[in-house]
Amino acid sequence: MTARNNALTQGMTLTWRSLVPLRNQPGELVQLLLQPIFMIVIFVVVFGAMTGDQGGAVQHLLPGVLTQVALTQTISTGLKLAEDIGNGVFDRFKSMPIARSAPLIGRILADTCTMTLTVAVALAVGAVVGFRIRTSPLEALAGVALLLTFTLALGWVSAWLGLRAKSAASMQGLATAVLLPLTFGSTALIPAANLPGVLRWWSTLNPVSHLADSMRALFTGGPAGAHIWITLGWAAAITACFVPLAVRAYSKRIR
Amino acid sequence: MNHSIEADGLVKRYGGKTALDGVDLAARAGSVLAVLGPNGAGKTTAVRVLATLVAPDGGHARVGGHDVVREPAKVRELIGLTGQYASVDEKLTGRQNLVMMGRLLGMNRAAARAKADDLLDRFGLREAAGRPAGAYSGGMRRRLDLAVSLVAEPSIIFMDEPTTGLDPQVRAELWTIVREHIARGATVLLTTQYLEEADQLADEIVLIDHGHVGARGTPDQLKARAGDRRLEIRPEHDADKAERILAEVTGLAPHHAGNGLISVPVLDPAVPSAVFRRLDEAGVVLTEHALRRPTLDEAFLALVSAPQAGRTSS
Repeated sequence: MTARNNALTQGMTLTWRSLVPLRNQPGELVQLLLQPIFMIVIFVVVFGAMTGDQGGAVQHLLPGVLTQVALTQTISTGLKLAEDIGNGVFDRFKSMPIARSAPLIGRILADTCTMTLTVAVALAVGAVVGFRIRTSPLEALAGVALLLTFTLALGWVSAWLGLRAKSAASMQGLATAVLLPLTFGSTALIPAANLPGVLRWWSTLNPVSHLADSMRALFTGGPAGAHIWITLGWAAAITACFVPLAVRAYSKRIR
Repeated sequence: MNHSIEADGLVKRYGGKTALDGVDLAARAGSVLAVLGPNGAGKTTAVRVLATLVAPDGGHARVGGHDVVREPAKVRELIGLTGQYASVDEKLTGRQNLVMMGRLLGMNRAAARAKADDLLDRFGLREAAGRPAGAYSGGMRRRLDLAVSLVAEPSIIFMDEPTTGLDPQVRAELWTIVREHIARGATVLLTTQYLEEADQLADEIVLIDHGHVGARGTPDQLKARAGDRRLEIRPEHDADKAERILAEVTGLAPHHAGNGLISVPVLDPAVPSAVFRRLDEAGVVLTEHALRRPTLDEAFLALVSAPQAGRTSS
């Protein structure tokens, strides 16, 4: 009658709980997939057409847009935590005899799954509009892994914001304020040389610039330089800072 | 006595506001205790403390014999909680909500599904089982919320305002479910703003207001204690004469309820017969007369306002 029951199995049940709406309601899945499709159409196809060199532009822009899409998706972690806290679902979990860590484990696992799906869809849509991976499958996989590692690190920042926010709406506002300078103040879409003064200085520091340049190198070849190591360093530093902060905020919420 | 829920002098402050100011509660095993009070009285805070969601700033509480602060995990093994705002996952179907609970509690897939189907049948949700809970009507959501809290077969159930915001017919349906499926064997603590709900469901009622217990007792005791019985008469003619007689017999000013109804409090059991004799002698014919106990509404107003009047501001 009873199966093995611990933080991990409970976390997996809650992962299922977060993913199953994608199957229940086609609208949920469409909403998830529409974002990468729109971003690619707008930035890669439209901006690409403006440069006059469609093929070259797609190869250059798609890895950048992919990072943008993935970074935007990290908001979901904190947003969904804030929603659960706001609507009483979190209270119900708290009142149950389950591992205190299970709801957080479930959230992080579910968001890792949706992130993987988002990245896969973005690459597929990229293929449709003409993006070609020029490197070995191993390098391409390393690119995906690097992106997932970095977005997982940002997921903890998102979780921390969501756990400290007063409401889901204020979480959304905070997360956007954090993400905008990261995504648009970077070389993901625009080369540093074309950015104005302060923004150029910031874009060279911005980890997202290094992430986007790593992705370009790992997907289309070309010099990766130190970009991969700098990106990994940032991911490690963000994780080291924000896992304890998020866990502390979470412990306060769940007692 | 064997109490499943016991609270002594619970105090809880939020910022500068005192939500609970020394609340004592006790529910006998297998009984239904209603915590009755207006909005903001501290009812929800009391439930949150007892359900281990927040720690009290003072006092002690034991649920199922376990201290809510020192042994919260033991308490959580025993309790079911339904919230003021039905805390089901709106994006999951009714069945998925129930299956999730079963799985979280360690049931295997087949057992969790069987439990879900059983509860869906008992709560009249079979047909809606495959629809997302977000598409349910208010009454269906509350039923699902109740069903979800029963997956673990808890022996102690907290229901925080289970019918607030529902229309009267749906509320009556929910009362039937509570009586038939929830109150059988389990100890129930329910909070409510509705006197009728407490009267319908509870073995005992605790009135709270501003974080204080105003009164406690069975519904009948509270009604009896709250006030005096009233004699109501409706004279056919001679209303003035009738009123004078009522005043003379009781020594109190009669109350006009409109539509010709006149009433006086009955403090002495000999009053009604004396009134009827005098009216008869005076030739006053009554179209209607009744000796009425106060409604729980009147009891509530009398009891809640009384202790406050005597309390110094704290």
